[in-house]
Amino acid sequence: MLLVQILVNGVLLGGLYGLMALGMALVWGVLNIVNLAHGAFIMLGGYLVFFLFTAGLDPLVSLPIAMAVLFLFGYVIQRSLLNLIVRSALLNTLLFTFGLDVVLTYLAQLLFSADFRTINPSYAGANFSVGAVTVPVGRLIAFAIAVALALLLYLLLERTRLGRAIRATAQNLDAARLYGVNPAQIYAITFGIGAALAGAAGTLYGIVAQITPYIGVTLTPKSFVIAIIGGLDNPLRIVAGGIVIGLAEAVTALYLGPTYTDVVSFGLLVLILVLRPARSLKIA
Amino acid sequence: MNGRWFALAAAVALLAGVPWFGNAVLIQFGINALLIAVLAQSWNILGGFAGYVSFGNSVFYGLGSYGVAIAMAQWNLPFWVGLIFAATIAVAFAALLGWPILRLRGPYFAIVTLGISAAMSALAANLDIAGKNVGLILPLTRNDTLFYEASLVLLAAATLTVAWIARSRFGMALIAIREDEDAAASVGVNATRFKIAALAMAAFFTAIAGGIHAYWITYIDPAGSFDTTLDVRMVIMTMFGGPGTILGPVVGALVLSAIYEVLADSISKAAALFFGIVILVAVIFLPRGLVDLGGGFRALRWRYFLTNIRQYRI
Repeated sequence: MLLVQILVNGVLLGGLYGLMALGMALVWGVLNIVNLAHGAFIMLGGYLVFFLFTAGLDPLVSLPIAMAVLFLFGYVIQRSLLNLIVRSALLNTLLFTFGLDVVLTYLAQLLFSADFRTINPSYAGANFSVGAVTVPVGRLIAFAIAVALALLLYLLLERTRLGRAIRATAQNLDAARLYGVNPAQIYAITFGIGAALAGAAGTLYGIVAQITPYIGVTLTPKSFVIAIIGGLDNPLRIVAGGIVIGLAEAVTALYLGPTYTDVVSFGLLVLILVLRPARSLKIA
Repeated sequence: MNGRWFALAAAVALLAGVPWFGNAVLIQFGINALLIAVLAQSWNILGGFAGYVSFGNSVFYGLGSYGVAIAMAQWNLPFWVGLIFAATIAVAFAALLGWPILRLRGPYFAIVTLGISAAMSALAANLDIAGKNVGLILPLTRNDTLFYEASLVLLAAATLTVAWIARSRFGMALIAIREDEDAAASVGVNATRFKIAALAMAAFFTAIAGGIHAYWITYIDPAGSFDTTLDVRMVIMTMFGGPGTILGPVVGALVLSAIYEVLADSISKAAALFFGIVILVAVIFLPRGLVDLGGGFRALRWRYFLTNIRQYRI
C-alpha cells in the first residue's frame, strides 16, 4: 500500500514537473533557445505569489496575475535583448540566458534574502482519503492546473491563428515571413508564453515546496530532462514526461533515499541520450 | 610584430616582478587572478576553439585540489608528486567522462556537465579518503612568492599550449568542429577523439591550478573545491576576453578579477551580480570578446557595436 501511496504522490508531483518543462520546451522548439534562466523565471513567479499571499491574496487568485506579469517580463526580455542575438550560434544564446540566470538569482538574493519561503493557504496541508491512499490537496490542485494549462497550450497552438503563426515560425522562419508573420513579434510572444508558464509553475511550486533564490539551479536541468523525454512538439506528451520523472523520483526516494532523486533524474537523461542518440541529435 | 612581442615580454616581466615590488595583498590577489586565468584559458581549449560549452570544469579543479590534498595529507608525499597524481586522475576522469558525454552536442553536453559538477561535490562529501564533509588539512608552507611564480608559470604553459593549438592541425580540427561538426566529420576529422583530447588538456591545467590552490590555502572541503561559481567565472571571463583566441581568456580573467576586487571592497553584495551583467553585455556587444575590440573599434568606431548587433538580430 505504501508503494501505491508513493506512486500517487509521484504522479501528482510529476504533473507540476511537466508544467515546469512546458515553457522551456515551447521556447526551445520555436526559438531554438535553451533558456537556462527558465528555473529563475519559476523562482520569480514563486516570489511574486508569495508576496501577494502575505498581502492576503489566495495563490489561486494570484496565479493569473503571476502569469500576466511573467508574460510581460518575458516579452520585454525577448523583444529588447534576446531578439538581438537570436540568430547567432546556440552557444551565444545559451551563454546569454546563463547570464540572465545569474543576474536574476543574485538580484533575488539581494532583494528577498536567502530565507526559505512557503505559500501555505489552508488547503496546502490538507488531504483526503481514497480507500487506504491519502491524497494531498495541494499537489492535486497543482496537478489539475498543470494538466489544464497543458491542454490550453495545446489548443492555442493547434486551433488559433496565433498558434499557427508560432508553429509556422518554428518550421520555417523565411516562409512564415513571406506569409505575413512578423517573427520578431512572434518570438517575443512565444518567449512571453514560456515565461508565463514558468510563472504558473512557480506559483504551484511555492504551494507544494519551498522557494529560495537558488531553486532554479535544479529546476532548469529538471525541466530540460523532461522536455527531452516528452519531445518538443506536444504539450500533453511533456506533462507525461513530467509524470515519468515524478514517478522515478518517488520510487528512488522510497528505495534509495531522497538525496538521490536528482542523481536519478540525470541518470535518466544520460541514459535516454545514449539510447536514442539519433533522435536527440535531430532536435539539437 | 616586433612591437607586439616586446609589449608581451614586458607584460610578462612585469607580472613576474610583482612579488618584488608589490605588497602581500597584491601578491595574494595575483595568485587568485592567475589561477582563475588558468581555468579560463583551459576552458578556452574546448569551449572557445571547439564551441562546446562546459559548465562542469570545476570538477577537474576539485579533483586537482583533492588529488594534492590526499597525496600530501593522507600519504605524506611531496607536493610535486601530489601534482602528478592530481593531474593523472583529472586527465583519466576527463577521458572516461568524455567518451560518453562528448558524443552529445550543444545544449545536451552543457546540461550534462552542469549535472556532473553538482553530483561531484555530493560524492566528495561522502568519501572517507576525502575526509567527508570535514575536508582535509595540508602541511603549511608560508611562501606566497613561490605560489605566485608557480601560478604564473602554469598560466604561461597553458597559454603557450593554446598558442600551439591555434596554429596546429589539432586546433584546425577543433575549429572545424565548432563551425560545422558534420562537415568536419565528412572530411575525416574524428570529432569525438579530438574533443576528448581537448577536454583532457583542459582537465590537466585545471587540475594543477586546483592543486596549487589547495597547497596554498592549506585546507580544502567539498563546497570550496567543487565550487560551481568557478564554472560561472571561467566561462564569463573567457567570453568577455575573447573565446577561441590566445590572449583573450587571460586578458578577460585579469581585467574582470581586478574589477571584481574593487567592487567587492566597496559594494560587496552586488559584486556577484556584476558577473551576470558582464556576460549579458558581452554576448550582445562583444561577441568576439575584448581582444577583438581594439582592431574593430579602430576600423569602425562606434559602428563596431552596431555591426555586432546587426549581424545576429532578427
